[in-house]
Amino acid sequence: MVWRTLAAVALTTCFLFPIYWLFMISFKTPEEIFAFPPRWWPSHIQFDNYAVLFKDGDAVTVWNSLVVASASTVLAMLLGTLCAYSLARFRTGGVHLSNWIISQRMVPPIAVVFPIFLMYVFLGWVDTYLGLILVYTAFNLPYVIWMMRGYILDIPVSLEEAALVDGWTRWQVLWKVVMPMARAGLFATAILTFIFAWNEFLFALVLTRTEVATYTVQVTHYFGGQSGFWAKISAMSVLGTLPIFVVVAFMQRYLVRGISLGAVKG
Amino acid sequence: MFQAQTGLRTAKALRLALLLAITITTALWTGAAAAQSAAQRAVDAAKKGCAGKTITIVWEAGLQSLDPLNFSGPKWEQLTGCKVKVVEVPTAEMFTKIMQEYRAGTGAYDALNVVPAWMPDLVQAGALEALDPYVDKNGFRDELQKIAPTYRDNQMKVNGKIYGFPDDGDVFLFYYRKDIFARPDLQQAFKAKYKYDLAPPKTWKQFDEIGSFLTDALKGEGIYGASFFREPTYAQLMFQERFRNEGGKFFDPQSMKATVNGPVGVRVLTEMRNENRFMPPGVEKFGFVENLTVFLDGKSAMTISWPPYGRFAAGYLADEKALAWVPKSKIAGKVGYALPPGGHPELALGFALSVASTSKQKDLAYLFIQWLNSDEVSTQRVQLPYALRDPFRDSHYTNKDYMAKWPDAKDYLAALGDAAKTGLLDLSLIQTDKYEESLRQAMSKLWAGGDPKGILDDVAKQWDEITQRVGVDKQKTVYKGWAAKSGAYPAPSK
Amino acid sequence: MGRQVGGLPGAFEVGVLRARSVPSQRARPRERGFQLALVAPSIFVLLLFGVLPLVYLIVVSVQNITMIDVDQSFHGLLNYRLLAADRRLWEALLHTGIFTAIALPVELVLGLAMAQLFIEHIPGRGVFVALLVLPVVVSPIVAGTTWSLMFDNRFGPINQILGWIAGEPAAILWTIRPDLVYVAILMAEIWQWTPFMFLLLLAALSGVDKSQLEAASIDGAGYWRTFRKIVLPAIRPVMVVAILIRALDLVRLFDIVWALTKGGPGTMTETLSVFTYVKGFQQFETSYTAAVALLVIVLLSVAVFAALKRVELAR
Repeated sequence: MVWRTLAAVALTTCFLFPIYWLFMISFKTPEEIFAFPPRWWPSHIQFDNYAVLFKDGDAVTVWNSLVVASASTVLAMLLGTLCAYSLARFRTGGVHLSNWIISQRMVPPIAVVFPIFLMYVFLGWVDTYLGLILVYTAFNLPYVIWMMRGYILDIPVSLEEAALVDGWTRWQVLWKVVMPMARAGLFATAILTFIFAWNEFLFALVLTRTEVATYTVQVTHYFGGQSGFWAKISAMSVLGTLPIFVVVAFMQRYLVRGISLGAVKG
Repeated sequence: MFQAQTGLRTAKALRLALLLAITITTALWTGAAAAQSAAQRAVDAAKKGCAGKTITIVWEAGLQSLDPLNFSGPKWEQLTGCKVKVVEVPTAEMFTKIMQEYRAGTGAYDALNVVPAWMPDLVQAGALEALDPYVDKNGFRDELQKIAPTYRDNQMKVNGKIYGFPDDGDVFLFYYRKDIFARPDLQQAFKAKYKYDLAPPKTWKQFDEIGSFLTDALKGEGIYGASFFREPTYAQLMFQERFRNEGGKFFDPQSMKATVNGPVGVRVLTEMRNENRFMPPGVEKFGFVENLTVFLDGKSAMTISWPPYGRFAAGYLADEKALAWVPKSKIAGKVGYALPPGGHPELALGFALSVASTSKQKDLAYLFIQWLNSDEVSTQRVQLPYALRDPFRDSHYTNKDYMAKWPDAKDYLAALGDAAKTGLLDLSLIQTDKYEESLRQAMSKLWAGGDPKGILDDVAKQWDEITQRVGVDKQKTVYKGWAAKSGAYPAPSK
Repeated sequence: MGRQVGGLPGAFEVGVLRARSVPSQRARPRERGFQLALVAPSIFVLLLFGVLPLVYLIVVSVQNITMIDVDQSFHGLLNYRLLAADRRLWEALLHTGIFTAIALPVELVLGLAMAQLFIEHIPGRGVFVALLVLPVVVSPIVAGTTWSLMFDNRFGPINQILGWIAGEPAAILWTIRPDLVYVAILMAEIWQWTPFMFLLLLAALSGVDKSQLEAASIDGAGYWRTFRKIVLPAIRPVMVVAILIRALDLVRLFDIVWALTKGGPGTMTETLSVFTYVKGFQQFETSYTAAVALLVIVLLSVAVFAALKRVELAR
């Protein structure tokens, strides 16, 4: 067991090292960043790089990411779970609907981002919260539908049938019986959906200008032709990654289940 | 009688003199008034239509946009009541964003910052507003004439019409360590070996000799003869400059076939590759900041780059918060300025202010850029401590305040002034980016060890394919227009 | 719809396989209205974002919209013919294939090895697992940027460490040398996604029948025999799914390549997505890009459905 533990430590260190490096750079002064040879820890930890981001208003992009990711997750979970229930219990649309929903996942975003942009121009949704939220919802729906379908199929029908016999309406059965039972699955799916939306880049790049830019877009602003802001790049990256790390820390149990769901059950 | 006649003549002469004096003074005054109030006129005109409106302008993200965000935007709003919204876009994305919004007809942008090399494409696509009517209506032509010749004659017009106001004196200047060049031991050793004086190189052959000599001689001190930004994006601009300085031509004007793979091109590529040997290791990957770091650290004796290097090297306002990312200069006071070997520097990139053709507030957008570009306002803007806008008007080079900023500033401005007379315009055709992409890839392959002739043959082939796709006749016309500019090819040297 | 939408495709395709094989649960009286209410909103959104753009692509791909003019007249198969003759496109396909062919097995083997390591109980296993998940949840843009920093030839720790080992400063240009640039990109990609494989396989390993393993060890079977005969068949379904998911994402590789090399040197590391981006968003060859996009969608769909069918048959 000892060597296993040692191996585990070594492995984890290797995998975390790049992340450590990123964090560490964000605490260095710009001078130190360009010191040669590179030092592996900042001579003193300073938060100036972060302070600048807040002062300049760049940090608001993290807030934008939060708003957009949360709203689109809620929306996708809502729409997707309802749809999943119908697919699970009634096989609505049969194989055709199921296949069509899968196929939506084959489409690479880069192929459709320009037509969606044109559509948004027509609707006036460019650079709006609504626009970005809807796009993320749409792209997460297939995932949510299939995950929740799986979870719902695992819930015995008998409970619902009993409730129906007792005179509950379908909607009541949905909300009061099915949802609580699928709680674990809801959690896992919601977390992963949130992470997708949070880390997304291409759509945010094309569909936002100034109002709703997310943190992933903001990071690329610091790659200048006649300037180099490694300090800002790393600080912004960390600022945008910390919330996810927090989520993971608290929810790692559900996250692990979410990723390996089908495997265990299948 | 005689006295009376003399008196009469004197009186007449006096009256004449007075009339003349008044006329001249009035002319001067009017002229001065006209000159100084181009900015004021813009403000007055804008005040009439502004109330509560917002103009959106696209600007390069990062340091550049600190100008409209912290200075010109707020000032304009204060003077006219027009709000200015700055859309920051990284340079690599600027063309994309502008075309994208234009193609979708959003009207989201009113005023634009445009790299002059893109202008033929944008004009061809219809994205830029022709500015002649506005210029005449607001009497701005005279002031436009006072922009330094190279920028004025090369970066303003497409097909004879004005589409943008050159607003940034980007040019490749040659920087060298005058202290190293002044060292007697080095001077003696160099003269003995090469039979001419150690001085800023006038030709690339001299540069190679000086560079390799210095690297050898200064090995013990860890200093290299030279360093450049060799990363393909920048290296292709340097190639454009050298190729033309050595007499190369990009195309045959009759057939529109690419001639970049002739002996001149091959020689230039070979020399560039050989030079890397006496430059710091890893130079192939140097970008703007890496090269700056090495130079400011005192580790290279010569380099070529944009004007900001000169200010950064002098440690000018190094304490400015926005410049915290600039490495501390160890060579302040030791830097000399000159034209690069060949004498014709590349006007690499640069910016021009334009109005989007799909803007719904073209007049207001125009007035804003006239104000920005005016003599009075631009003089302030190029002196902003965090500015990346470089001097570009005749008046900038002789500005007393600027000259006082650091001891060698007047030499700096003099060198820039020279450069502004002899600069070479970046190749600008239809689909410029495709041609440039081919060059970027060529540089990439060169650093990866490819053979110069083979690489250039590929470039020529690719260029010919692009020309075919665009339409040979169409491109021929555009090329003719570009080649006719003073900055396209250097006049044959004496 | 796209892996670029964040970092984790998760067990999506796993769910697909499962759902297909679970027997349908008897529906009660039709309740059409109820079904409709449940399904309609989702379908509406998917139609808006899935079908409309597709229609646009098809229409535009038979036109001739380029950067210089918007020629919307019918041009038939012009773009498709251009596509077939475009050497750069086929090279991009090749590059994408190379990345996939190398990254996939490495991630699989490495992930399996890691899973084997963690399957036995060790103190603080939960903590290790939680930490090892981190590379996967980082944004691909951030991942690419971080590795760009790591490989920096002057300020990157990798060259520094190599320098210590070699005894003299190493100034290796990871993203410029043609022999090393693939290594650099692959390292970044493998770093980010091996933990994903690891998690999937860890869960799979935990489902292996313990009694069978005990029986095998009592019989004196060696490690490899046990592995081949008992473990491998048990985890095969998950492995297949994992391979499918990663393969699909590797084909769409963009962010990491873009952050490290932008497809360079030259076009040496240009993947399909990078190629599409350059053609569509830098050169505005709108019609041509639409044709390429449709080609990619068709290829992907055919490949995935074929693979899914094979897996089903194997069950």
